[in-house]
Amino acid sequence: MSIITRSPFLFRINTGSCNGCDVELATTAMIPRYDVERLGCRYTGSPKHADILLVTGPITARSKPYLIEVLDELPRPFVVVAIGTCPTSCGIFRDSYSIEGPLDKYVEVDVNVPGCPPRPQAIIDGVAKALEIWKRKIRDFK
Amino acid sequence: MSAEIIHFLIFPGGLFALVLGIFMLSLERIVVARLQGRVGPPIYQNFIDVIKLFNKEILVPKDSKEIVFMYAPVLGFAALIAMLYFIPLPGVYEGAGNNSDLIILIYVMALPAISHILGGSASSSPYAAIAVNRELKLMLVYEVVFVIIAFSIALYVGKGSAVLSLKDIMNYQLNNSPLILDWKFWPAIVAFVIFVLATMEFPPFQVAHHNDADVMDGFLIEHSSIPLAIYEMTDALKIVLLSIVFQIFFCPCVIGGDVVVNLLFFIAKTVIFVMFFSLLHAIFASFRIDQAFKFLIIVPTTLSLITLVLVILSIKGLI
Ligand code: SF4
Repeated sequence: MSIITRSPFLFRINTGSCNGCDVELATTAMIPRYDVERLGCRYTGSPKHADILLVTGPITARSKPYLIEVLDELPRPFVVVAIGTCPTSCGIFRDSYSIEGPLDKYVEVDVNVPGCPPRPQAIIDGVAKALEIWKRKIRDFK
Repeated sequence: MSAEIIHFLIFPGGLFALVLGIFMLSLERIVVARLQGRVGPPIYQNFIDVIKLFNKEILVPKDSKEIVFMYAPVLGFAALIAMLYFIPLPGVYEGAGNNSDLIILIYVMALPAISHILGGSASSSPYAAIAVNRELKLMLVYEVVFVIIAFSIALYVGKGSAVLSLKDIMNYQLNNSPLILDWKFWPAIVAFVIFVLATMEFPPFQVAHHNDADVMDGFLIEHSSIPLAIYEMTDALKIVLLSIVFQIFFCPCVIGGDVVVNLLFFIAKTVIFVMFFSLLHAIFASFRIDQAFKFLIIVPTTLSLITLVLVILSIKGLI
């Protein structure tokens, strides 16, 4: 059981972020020094492969149906990580007419990574915390 | 009888090739990561991935053709397992004693791509439809390249009449010198390298698969759990099969007559083969599909035709 938790697949969804958080997420995948692959993670292109969902951005009215669709497609059990201030509290977009966030209206958020944008180290730390939670969820799911 | 079952299920085919291939895929990820200045996953990473995928929930899309969607991955996997039983391993295994296995090889090399096409098109996803279209276009060209390379080698070994037995091709090179040292085959070797990049879909041919910016996960987008794990294992078998084919075609060197030493030598050659392709993986960016198609139809096809012409000239005694 503990062996399969060393192979999480990550899927990221942008729900109207300003792209700051997405750039920081990209650095964890492909530039030197910050590397989530050493934790065994792999970025996938499909929510159906994913174990950990990374959400950036406040939920805008346009992106809300897609977020709900992606949450529907994830195989259970999965972990949700909110990257940046936006999904947690809508950040600087709070009270705008087009914002339907925050994220925890739609799904239980397991890890919050605060910052605007958060540093890559903080994101990797968030993923490491998500792995612990995923391990516990698998145990409870059986 | 029982020896044949062991050959099919455990030793050169089956379990051995699967384990070796999965390690090679992990090694590929590590080498790419190191070349990019990262740490990379542990060497057993792809094993855990496959084990994990077997433990996940199977999701089937509502509009898919369920039978094709679920069983298409098995087609490619079964084809490669069967081929690893037919094909000889230099100095280690004789092959299944067939005297036209080159033809079977040419057919079977297309089957993993066909299983991708079937699985992707049965999944009813528009992303998969685009990826299937691209895979089909690439396949039409790289199969031709492979056929031309195989045909020129068969002609050269038979001195004008095509030799379709891989064992004979291997023995010819063991008795004479390996074809990798023959300048006439150098264009074909470059073409073969491009063929491997295209059929494994490493960059620059990463147009139909793992191309997140463009088609997400391509034809694999709707697959999860066991079908996805079978696709991963098919990739593992494919890299081993390609390494064996490269060695039979161009350098079936062996050390002495000892099976164990030859096996270790074969594994060492496979490791070098995979590391070379990881290097290419790390240094190339991705083509667009039209660029990839044009490149494939011009460069490797021309290179393999050059080898074919040189071989015909040398058979006629002109060079
Ligand atoms: S948290 Fe900051 S950087 Fe991230 S998406 Fe929101 S505004 Fe942009």
